[in-house]
Amino acid sequence: MSIIKKLALVVVSLSLVAVSSVSSAKPFSPKKPVELIIPAGQGGGADEIARLVQGVIEKNDYASKPVIPINKSGGSGGEAMTYVKKKAGDEHTLIITLNNVLTTPVNQPELGIDFFNDFTPLARLITDTFLVWIATEGKNTAGVETFDDFIDLAKGNGLVMGGTGSMSEDELLLGMMRGQFGFDAKYVPYSGGGAVAKGLVGGESDFTLNNPSEQMGFYQSGDSKALVMMTPERNPAFPEVPSSYELGYPDLEYYMMRAFMAPAGIDAEVEKYYTGLLHTVYHDDEFQTFNIDDGKLMSWLEGFGLKDFLAIEYAKHGEIIKNFN
Amino acid sequence: MSITNKITVKRAEIAVAVILALCSIALMIKSAENRITWNAEENMGAGFLPFYLSLGMLICTILTIIKFVLKRSPQSKDDSPFIDAVAFKFIAVTIISLVVLVLAIGYLGIYFSLIFFLAFYLRYFSEKRISFITIFAITTPILTFLFFEWMLKIPLPQGVSEPLFYPVYDFMYGGFSFAVKMIFIILTVLLPTALVFLTSRFIK
Amino acid sequence: METVGFLLDGIFTSLQWFNLALLIFGCLIGLFVGAMPGLGSVNGVAILIPITFIIPPTAAIIFLAAVYYGAMYGGAISSVMLGIPGASTAVATVFDGRPLAVKGEAMTALTAAAVGSFVGGTVSVILFTLFAPPLAEVALRFNAPETFALMVMAFATFVGLGGDDVPKTIFSILIGLALSTIGLDLITGKPRLIFFNIPGFLHGINFLVLAIGIYGIGEMLWTLEETKGKVQMSKLSVNMKEVGRAFGALKKTIMAMNIGSFLGFFVGILPAAGATPASLMSYGITKQLSKNSKEFGEGVPAGVVAPECANNSASTGSMLPMLTLGIPGSPTTAILLGGMILWGLTPGPLLFTQEPEFVWGLIGSLYIANFFTLVLNIALIPAFLMVLRIPFAILAPVIFVLCVTGGYAPTQSLHDVWLMLLFGFAGYILRKLDYPVAPAVLSIVLGPLAEKALRQSLILSDGSMGIFFDVSEKPIAAVIMYIAIVLLIMPAFGPLYRRLFKKKQTA
Repeated sequence: MSIIKKLALVVVSLSLVAVSSVSSAKPFSPKKPVELIIPAGQGGGADEIARLVQGVIEKNDYASKPVIPINKSGGSGGEAMTYVKKKAGDEHTLIITLNNVLTTPVNQPELGIDFFNDFTPLARLITDTFLVWIATEGKNTAGVETFDDFIDLAKGNGLVMGGTGSMSEDELLLGMMRGQFGFDAKYVPYSGGGAVAKGLVGGESDFTLNNPSEQMGFYQSGDSKALVMMTPERNPAFPEVPSSYELGYPDLEYYMMRAFMAPAGIDAEVEKYYTGLLHTVYHDDEFQTFNIDDGKLMSWLEGFGLKDFLAIEYAKHGEIIKNFN
Repeated sequence: MSITNKITVKRAEIAVAVILALCSIALMIKSAENRITWNAEENMGAGFLPFYLSLGMLICTILTIIKFVLKRSPQSKDDSPFIDAVAFKFIAVTIISLVVLVLAIGYLGIYFSLIFFLAFYLRYFSEKRISFITIFAITTPILTFLFFEWMLKIPLPQGVSEPLFYPVYDFMYGGFSFAVKMIFIILTVLLPTALVFLTSRFIK
Repeated sequence: METVGFLLDGIFTSLQWFNLALLIFGCLIGLFVGAMPGLGSVNGVAILIPITFIIPPTAAIIFLAAVYYGAMYGGAISSVMLGIPGASTAVATVFDGRPLAVKGEAMTALTAAAVGSFVGGTVSVILFTLFAPPLAEVALRFNAPETFALMVMAFATFVGLGGDDVPKTIFSILIGLALSTIGLDLITGKPRLIFFNIPGFLHGINFLVLAIGIYGIGEMLWTLEETKGKVQMSKLSVNMKEVGRAFGALKKTIMAMNIGSFLGFFVGILPAAGATPASLMSYGITKQLSKNSKEFGEGVPAGVVAPECANNSASTGSMLPMLTLGIPGSPTTAILLGGMILWGLTPGPLLFTQEPEFVWGLIGSLYIANFFTLVLNIALIPAFLMVLRIPFAILAPVIFVLCVTGGYAPTQSLHDVWLMLLFGFAGYILRKLDYPVAPAVLSIVLGPLAEKALRQSLILSDGSMGIFFDVSEKPIAAVIMYIAIVLLIMPAFGPLYRRLFKKKQTA
């Protein structure tokens, strides 16, 4: 046993020497690989962006240590948020957001997540929008050409809507539309945007409120068409789809934000480093091209602007949830 | 000796059945936190399936208990010890050392915990020489580190030992060529071996 | 036959020296990662996505296909050699692979797994080339009610798997299903069975946690008791006679190969089903149709061939819903899908016509990967067999280390490692009292799929179970459901039938 003890001592003291020689007053840079927590499963929109960010950083050597995406999809982001909350002060953890970071603290109060004090918002890179989709050959939506046609049809008939899971963004949106247009629909939850799109084209549901990228394949093949995009302006990726403002429904505006946050209690120095890193990624050509082609909106936001945005969105989601229940 | 003799298969069978019945009841109560109804107006509640599944579990354990009382199952007639004394000791040591290992991982981190776990476990169960055990206990965590953190980029818990790994990461992701890194890997694996051989010579 | 041309192009592209080197390297990584309990192709594929920004997409696809296939084989290796299923697709391989290894016929088991996988992979590539576009339409029509019917059928094929004690077998099935409901309920968005508000329960109980617990920790405790740590784990002999015997044993597995290849492919192309139900159903059906079905579970080569053949066949088949519908059947294909999107390819019905080089290049490289993994695998069998030479006292702690890291890695949570220890210990005690453990593992694998499909269907039908039995509305679902019911009640009537039959003989 004594040998083991001696050896352990040697190893520990050697390493300590090495550590003390390295640490000196330099500006912050990561000392180990950075964990990028994804509050969703593999293959979703957030996962895609996270892996894109990882790839862009690695390819161009934007950071001295790699970024490692880790999926913690449990509890609609609840698990990921609890994890990051526990990591307060940790300088090597980031979380990419879906809108579930705005809804889960309200829906699952037992988790004890304080959205405004448990995280350090760094930057918003992208916003993703939602469209109302129907199948081109949908048997219940035959003859629907415009969004107004659709509202008229939906009011009289109980249509089936496919969505990504109860209390997720699209069901909240359905709640919003229910209040606004006075129609309701039967909500069938699937496990991801891809399955939702397939359910629509396969004839199981009548309409969906899906992200652009998730329905892109069926849009290009002409199997499904979009009636309205929930933004003030048209999107170059879907030139013929009208925006909700054009149609006279400015209240029908909704975004999915792809922002990055760090745990609470990190130094300003660290915050500055990661915001700078994300800024570099944001302006990377490959990153820009990919997202624009995919129908996403490039929308950088940091600092107080981001904090205001989050406060407004948080309040808005709280309101939607309250009206929903 | 006496304890393992007293725990007969018969007693274990009924004890386990009762524990499982209690677990089933606990599951039913827990499931009932969500709606457990399913009728024409409302669709299946979130608690419906877990509730009735655990009810089914309860029924099965009750059937097992009935079979036990009626002496219909082979276990209900078996008075031999559930586990013999020697095996009991092995199993107890294994389970306790695993529990200690996982506790230690939470604090010390996985790599240092593994050294202690392997050293203890091999010392206890194998008749290998201490030099072999030392090499084994040190190289296994090193290989684990290389495989998980370097090759697969899966971070394993490091607990309080985390700062010790910063220089390693600096080296891994520093601008060294592949060849330098490979030589380093080979050295890290060989070094403990050489060290142990040398020290064991002198200590003898 | 334009597609054949593209396929041949794909095959020749993967045979260029740079691509071939990548392919062999990928197979090796896959084999290694797949053989580690808890790790699978998903880990291999995930590290590659950033690299694919650097190497050209074609090479990246070849590499990914190689890792994917290598890991499929790797899962079988840990199932046979360690008794721990490396992935959910290799669960059924444990049932007969492990007993074979313990009997000293590990060589036979590994050969059967390798050859079975190769046959499955080959058949599915041929079927894919011939029928993929028309089958895409079938996959599109395969919705929630059909999926649920398929899951019932998967359960039905396993009726005979339990032990002799009926209440204990049913208990095992039910506890697996109950454990699978832990976590967030997709349908209502409510957290379920979050014991003591521990956040770790929010992600539910991954099948791997239960499988590594029961087959890793539990099996080790069991062996420790049996052998008192003194004996080697299993007998072993490697010589030419043994090799000949291993290949000879394959003659009896032709039926298993047929069932596995065809069933695997057709289950594989269905969205949301994938390779796991395919391998389980293949094992179950082969067992029920076999003349010596009583010997299944005690170590017959057909019991290894059936699931291995099916999971490889299904993993090629499952490329179809991924490519044409954008639906990933597993975390691995989800990451692959993400990679495709990053390379600027949009999965959808048009992919086959717009990007034929990509599609057939992928299928072609899958096939070449399949071939090289077979070669590598057969060549490496002696190396794998060395595992069995390690004395138990050294192998046991190594397996514990593998279990702990494997329990931790998929979810990065120590919570799962604790659960794994608990399941291992509980599984060991229950097994000693004749509670069968395999049904619980199967239930936890199939449970979530079945529950989701059931409840989606019930929302669509407003709560009526009639949706599964209506031949005119949902013909596919109804037919599968009726077959499943027949399969379910057949074993109950079996003894009756036999009694009647025997009476006739004596009379």
